[in-house]
Amino acid sequence: MSLKKRLSSKEFVVLAEMHTPKGVNISELVNNARRIKGRIDAVVIPDMDNGVMRMSALAGGVLMHQQGIEAVINVYCRDRNRMAIQGDILAAHVLGIQNLIVVKGEEIANCDHKDAKVVDDLNEIQILEVVNGLQNGTDMAGFDLTGAPEFTLGCTLGKFADQASLEKEIQAAKQKVDAGARFIITPPIFDIDYFLSAADKIKALNVPVIASVFLIKSVGIARYMAVTEPESRIGEDLIKRIRKSRDRENECLKIAGESMKALKGQVDGVLAVTLGWEHRLPTILDYAQL
Amino acid sequence: MITAERKPMEEIIASVRPYNRILLVGCNECVTVCAAGGRKEVGILSSALQMAFMQEGKTLDIKELTLERQCDPEYVEELVTVIDQADAVLSMACGCGVQEVARRYKDKPVYPALNTKFMGASERQGVWAERCQGCGDCILGLTGGICPVARCSKRLLNGPCGGSTAGKCEISQDVDCVWQLIWDRMKALGIENRYEEVMMAKDWRSSRDGGPRKIIREDLV
Repeated sequence: MSLKKRLSSKEFVVLAEMHTPKGVNISELVNNARRIKGRIDAVVIPDMDNGVMRMSALAGGVLMHQQGIEAVINVYCRDRNRMAIQGDILAAHVLGIQNLIVVKGEEIANCDHKDAKVVDDLNEIQILEVVNGLQNGTDMAGFDLTGAPEFTLGCTLGKFADQASLEKEIQAAKQKVDAGARFIITPPIFDIDYFLSAADKIKALNVPVIASVFLIKSVGIARYMAVTEPESRIGEDLIKRIRKSRDRENECLKIAGESMKALKGQVDGVLAVTLGWEHRLPTILDYAQL
Repeated sequence: MITAERKPMEEIIASVRPYNRILLVGCNECVTVCAAGGRKEVGILSSALQMAFMQEGKTLDIKELTLERQCDPEYVEELVTVIDQADAVLSMACGCGVQEVARRYKDKPVYPALNTKFMGASERQGVWAERCQGCGDCILGLTGGICPVARCSKRLLNGPCGGSTAGKCEISQDVDCVWQLIWDRMKALGIENRYEEVMMAKDWRSSRDGGPRKIIREDLV
């Protein structure tokens, strides 16, 4: 069943994020995807995530499609103007991509090409509107298309540290839903109880909510994130659990899997984000019993 | 200098329509030189607004004032004695001046009467043209004193492209091909051998792409 159908029929969806390579060797990406084929509903391909120049998400999505795996590709504003974005969206459709997530690009100052010229011609809401326009057969300049594309469109919810920032992020997300987003991806969830206490407000957006589960790979990363990203709400208990484990690496996989399991039934789906540890996704899915 | 043009009257009228008393503030610097927002233009806009409002059967109380420099806190402070007599400020400065007034008088709505255009020079009476984009890393020394970043339509650092004909740019016969100008100037200076030097991809961090910019002179702070 396609992601679109699963979302519309309220079936729980399981997504996994996979990065394209910085180069043309695609064996790792393809092998990792094949390992989880049939266990996930779609693979999400970020575009130059974290500001790292990589093979484009469009190519990654097509590679998934060639493997018989449904793909969701990210679209953002930093590096492409309205012409390039529209051209790539049309290309995505004819190459078999059925799903897009409109995301915010990393600041150029945090990218690996810090000296690049920033485009930022459109913002997230405007991209969503442009895709809707294309789906209705018209480009941004008002010209008719010969054949209109069709996508299931998603958006993201910004990070929130407290109720006040949640209100703000929900307001921003509402604008994206009003602009045509049909599902929403949350920021990484580490404190599930806290997230569930806020989940009703997110569900009030009336689109399927897909919770991100980020794989913490070490005590060091957990500590770093706890300090630098307080909105992650990574607590001392979580850090202690990894630190005290005899097999810390496995404990990290277990934590991610358990989080996915705990979120099943609470939200409409989960997205596993493993940042370079995609080869460990089968184990995480085992722990998640998915 | 910074160049600007007055916004369409309908837009200005719409922005001040909710108010009865406005403070119309000009600037004695760049926008005076480009005849967009100096004392004279303040007077003209004031009269035009009053006439427009009269036609709508409404009176608008306008106080006119032209500051020496609207982007300078020292001069913007002069508004303190009159700011309370206005419901809103209509600024005829560039965007820098509008923002300085808004920063200083936080509880007063401020509206721009001009569209700030570009950093440019006067070509002849009544004609100004773009000369500089403030990229923060000047290459004029390499291009015979003529800037391709600001003046080439494609912003080419190694030009010309194939669209240059008889010294004109393909986008319009009114636009000079800047690489033709650079070549002519280099030849005149006897440095055309430098034309062969390929310029590398520009580092845009010093430009707006690197984020909002600030200059801090420790010796003056």
